[in-house]
Amino acid sequence: MKRYDAIIVGGGHNGLTCAAYLARAGRKVLVLERRERVGGAAMSEEVFPGFRFSVFSYVVSLLRPEIIRELELSRHGLQILPLESTLTPLPNGDYLAQWSDHDQNRRELARHSARDADAYDEFGLLLHRMARAVKPLLGVAPPDPASLDPRELWELWQLGRYFRALPEKDLHALWKLLTMSCADYLDEWFESEALKGTKSASGIIGTLLGPRSPGTAYVLLHHYMGELDGVFRAWGFARGGNGSVSAAIAAAAQAHGAEIRTQAPVAKIFVSRARASAVVLENGEELHAPVIVSGADPRRTFLGLVGEAELPDDFAASIKRYKFRGSSAKVNLALAEPPRFTCLPQPGPHLRGAVSISPSVEYLERAYDDAKYGEISQRPYMDIIMPSMLDPSMAPPGKHVMSIFVQYAPYHLSGGGWNDARREELGDTVVKTLAEYAPNLPGAILHRQVVTPADIERIVGLSEGNIFQGELSLQQMFFLRPAPAWARYRTPIRGLYQCGAGTHPGGGVMGAAGRNAAMAILKGRA
Amino acid sequence: MLGADADGLVAAHVLARGGHRVTVIAERPTQRTSGWIPPALAQELGVTSREPPEPWLRAPLLDGGVLELSGDVTRSADAIRHISPRDAERWPRFCERMATLARLLAEIYIGPPPSLVDLRFAVRVRRLGRAAMEDMMRLLPMPVAELLDDWFDSHELKGALATFGVRNVHQGPRSAGTAFVLLHHHVGNPPGVFRPPRSDLVAQLGSRSGVALRVGRLGRITVRGERVTGVMLQSGEAIAADLVVSALSPRRTLAELIEPGMLDPDLVRAARHIRARGVAATVALTLERPAAFSTLTLAPSVDYVERSYDDIKYRRASVQPWIDVVAKDASAEMHCQYLPHGSPVDVAPILQKVAPHLPPVTNTQVIPHDDCPDGQPLQAELALDQALWMRPLPELSGYRTPIEGLWLGGPAMHPGIAGLCGYNCARQIMRGA
Repeated sequence: MKRYDAIIVGGGHNGLTCAAYLARAGRKVLVLERRERVGGAAMSEEVFPGFRFSVFSYVVSLLRPEIIRELELSRHGLQILPLESTLTPLPNGDYLAQWSDHDQNRRELARHSARDADAYDEFGLLLHRMARAVKPLLGVAPPDPASLDPRELWELWQLGRYFRALPEKDLHALWKLLTMSCADYLDEWFESEALKGTKSASGIIGTLLGPRSPGTAYVLLHHYMGELDGVFRAWGFARGGNGSVSAAIAAAAQAHGAEIRTQAPVAKIFVSRARASAVVLENGEELHAPVIVSGADPRRTFLGLVGEAELPDDFAASIKRYKFRGSSAKVNLALAEPPRFTCLPQPGPHLRGAVSISPSVEYLERAYDDAKYGEISQRPYMDIIMPSMLDPSMAPPGKHVMSIFVQYAPYHLSGGGWNDARREELGDTVVKTLAEYAPNLPGAILHRQVVTPADIERIVGLSEGNIFQGELSLQQMFFLRPAPAWARYRTPIRGLYQCGAGTHPGGGVMGAAGRNAAMAILKGRA
Repeated sequence: MLGADADGLVAAHVLARGGHRVTVIAERPTQRTSGWIPPALAQELGVTSREPPEPWLRAPLLDGGVLELSGDVTRSADAIRHISPRDAERWPRFCERMATLARLLAEIYIGPPPSLVDLRFAVRVRRLGRAAMEDMMRLLPMPVAELLDDWFDSHELKGALATFGVRNVHQGPRSAGTAFVLLHHHVGNPPGVFRPPRSDLVAQLGSRSGVALRVGRLGRITVRGERVTGVMLQSGEAIAADLVVSALSPRRTLAELIEPGMLDPDLVRAARHIRARGVAATVALTLERPAAFSTLTLAPSVDYVERSYDDIKYRRASVQPWIDVVAKDASAEMHCQYLPHGSPVDVAPILQKVAPHLPPVTNTQVIPHDDCPDGQPLQAELALDQALWMRPLPELSGYRTPIEGLWLGGPAMHPGIAGLCGYNCARQIMRGA
């Protein structure tokens, strides 16, 4: 029987990252993936003949630069094409565009509000400073503030010192970002509804919260964390789709000697006397290793694969109340021609960027109101990109693919769950809403794929279809993610670790959780 | 002393006892109630606090019954058992957990707020032990709806409790930070009572001797160099003072009463951005005969409260507001939320909702909140970014202003409990003087 030093359950991008780092450190690693390909929610697929899609996650914004560097992802085929702009079409036929060119952007903002154009630079500077303050936290295992362990106390002390060294002004600005709603925060800076709507849209992604809910301002920061690196831009698109990110990480892991098995669904993590020592596949095969790392979300890992009976009571209670509440869906369209937006009907650079349907904060808040009571948003928020504009290999010549991120589509629908009728209803709502801004769109659709939160759960295995493996709300962040006292990638089961987005620092194609988990494992055994 | 509400009067009398010659300038008669009186304040000024009404919560049930919660935790649990045995079982533990956290808040509510990176505060929190500490960290940023879902099943219990998490804030029960508001109102109460404590400091101190009382409209605060020199009334009369304490809102004090250019424009801008939205109307009712109860809360579920919040987000009055009535003898005070400040209050449909539960109403009077900016009684909404070290702004959280001798002591200050803010401010002044 083959022995491994570590078995990774789940070949999502975090699992692969963790595997790559462990293998790089000389460990013998096996990755087990349930599906026929790795990548989890970061994968590309030829859904319709000739048309390739990043079916689930669709942009790269936060992938940690140290991971790209250390795993040499460029050498393994990763190429990121920048998205240069965000276009927000408005109901009155006008638009707001945000360009990566500073002067062009300023001129465009000034067209809507001279005051906003002035405030924008100052706003950007502040958020850059905040992002720089927060960034070091992304790469650490959060110390438990109630711990008595001297090593953790030391880390706590270091963390305290780090924050005490920050200028008080920055500390308070950070607190505001953590506790305010996007709407209130942006009201302090800007007056243009379109700008506030588009900025606040980034704060609601992946949550069942509206832009007026406190706690949403924090996510604004994420945009600026990408921009800081200089390695690539805030928003980018991986050539070949987001599957290329996973493929590159997998290639790096394999180059370091990791073994990857697909179509190997894990049925159970075997625990005896509070120690994990093996996994059992669905076909009955047993695989042993002293370290088992789960990339699945906390609910699947602990309540599914491990089983409640093996867990301490208070830990099981924490995992049970951990909130998922998926709220996002994807609509992928194969198009015979590019969309012609009423506000900018000619083809142009705006089609190579993102298009955001977020004309005002109120628009988003109303979309949330529907979802709060278990309805699909009548007029949803949409974030749209057209990968074939950047990478022609995604679609047959002259044709296009359009990726539409939709919110809100709550996992918990009132009056029964998701079914084919509700899925089509969602697809129709999206196309109808978009047609108000691009009337040629309905006629250009060759194929349509609608991915509901229930589909995400079924296909990728993310509980309740939450794209972040659990809501990124304040009470589920940092040393509380996924459960107090267990935010350091360890678990109450010895030998069992977690490396998914359900741990700090959470979701997005970032890889930080996978890397941090690998570091924690290597440190623990050194 | 600018302002003759609870904070102004408390600060004035504490300063007078400390040897200052104090003049209180009242712009208009105020009748506002005050909040929790900690023992130290009660002793220093010889004032008394009120017992919470008994029962403190009385919520009609859909089946025609009534849910009554009292200060006696066991009796409340018995009452809850009729609607949910599981909730009844959990009630005592919920009360105990919340009381532990409220005690920590009570400690930091007396005196200036701790700083965000205050080591002593961190140590104090750690000393609570793991369970309470985890509770505190999870609970502060939580929506009150989520907190109540963690503990209870009954819609009626959760709906009525949720109102105390959103009282006078422009948030719904599903908004983050509202669990903190519930906890805030719990401070000073015995375990198991979540109705904010009320007192009548204005009545107790209003006619007490020791400070001079002046009625007049303020023109501006006069400043020479970086020092305050007194105030000028609109009548043109100047009153000289080395110390000016304002219980008026920071916005009015810093952005309107101080001449432009005296203060850092960033600070003035920040003061203008302090959120102080009024979301409720208070209606005084005269009853034909004394009511048979002391309180009445109409909020049958969390969704009901959330839906009534949805309206005000779009600057509309709630079609179905939640209502809380406190009755004493033949008069009652009705709190209706959410109604945007400034829009006319249509009393008729609200009365219709409470009519089945009350003796006939002979007279109604909407009490205007004109003395507060935007109608927010606390002058600064209670939200996590405007509480503790952030209240009302981080640079003003120590009650001091950049102008020497000018202090802030109104309800916009830490801890946001009418009466206690003035007390904290006066004690800070005496410590510095």
